[in-house]
Amino acid sequence: MNKVNCEVVCISAMALADGYDSELSPDRIKEHLASCEECRREVEHLQALSSLLDRQERRPRTENVWQRIEPRLPHAPASQSASPVLYPFILLGGLLLGYRLLQMIPDRDFGFFFKLVPLLIVIAAFSFLRENPFKIHPELRLEGE
Amino acid sequence: MDDEAAIKKCWAGDNDAFRYVVERYQAEAVGHAIAILGNREDALDAVQEAFIDAFQALHRVDLTRRFYPWFYVILRNRCYKLAAKLKKHEVSNWDETEILAPAASLQPEDTLLLERAMLNLPAQDRELITLRHLDGLSYDELAERMEIPQGTVMSRLYYARKKLRDRLKRHAFAGFSEGT
Repeated sequence: MNKVNCEVVCISAMALADGYDSELSPDRIKEHLASCEECRREVEHLQALSSLLDRQERRPRTENVWQRIEPRLPHAPASQSASPVLYPFILLGGLLLGYRLLQMIPDRDFGFFFKLVPLLIVIAAFSFLRENPFKIHPELRLEGE
Repeated sequence: MDDEAAIKKCWAGDNDAFRYVVERYQAEAVGHAIAILGNREDALDAVQEAFIDAFQALHRVDLTRRFYPWFYVILRNRCYKLAAKLKKHEVSNWDETEILAPAASLQPEDTLLLERAMLNLPAQDRELITLRHLDGLSYDELAERMEIPQGTVMSRLYYARKKLRDRLKRHAFAGFSEGT
């Protein structure tokens, strides 16, 4: 077998030793290990290391961080209502809705500059938030992902 | 008081109830942060910030699920952000172990060597190895904690162990006999 396959076998063999199935069947792994001295030694070494690591424990910690946290907790309680982070967006939504309702008044023309109001509202909101709307946040994740 | 009761009290405005949560999980959190950052002082900063983040995000906690895995995602984000901010990958050069407890199965100097080899790994490899072997997390749990697919856990764990084995070889570590 070529080098790539050897690597796949070793990864699969270690997963099997951990009690997990991989893309290769146990028979296929055993068959390869029986015929490949290099992989067999590699897996044996890593299993010996795993066994050594399994016998270790974390050092118990005694640090107390509460004293450092307590003075920094916000006084407003965390609640299931809208997060404070959402408030500017709620305000933004309200303003845009108000604009739309004004637009819907029949027989009223507010002129060209009135059409720029939504754009100004959005620019003002992002300026207030000090946020670049075109910046991509790689850390953002959908809730529940 | 259990986690659910404490969190509900926090929702009702009782900040003291958060003390229960902090005191229950701080030891575990400090251990995990040290394993990622390799430095006790930075770890304490990260844990502190993570608990404050968690308090501010408590309204998003799903009470049907365990608190700590949810908190751990916040903690590791804090740790990696701090590591990026500090722009250093230096780790403490301790005379005694900070991650590993003294083990009956190893000489103290071998435990220290093992920890130093672990500290020489990239933080994500060290995190994965400690969660798997010291905490005994399953592949499913590792995938959830590290936000990666299970297949990635499998391969990353293999490469992390391989790197650790190579570092131990370099240090002429005698704590395990290869091939046995």
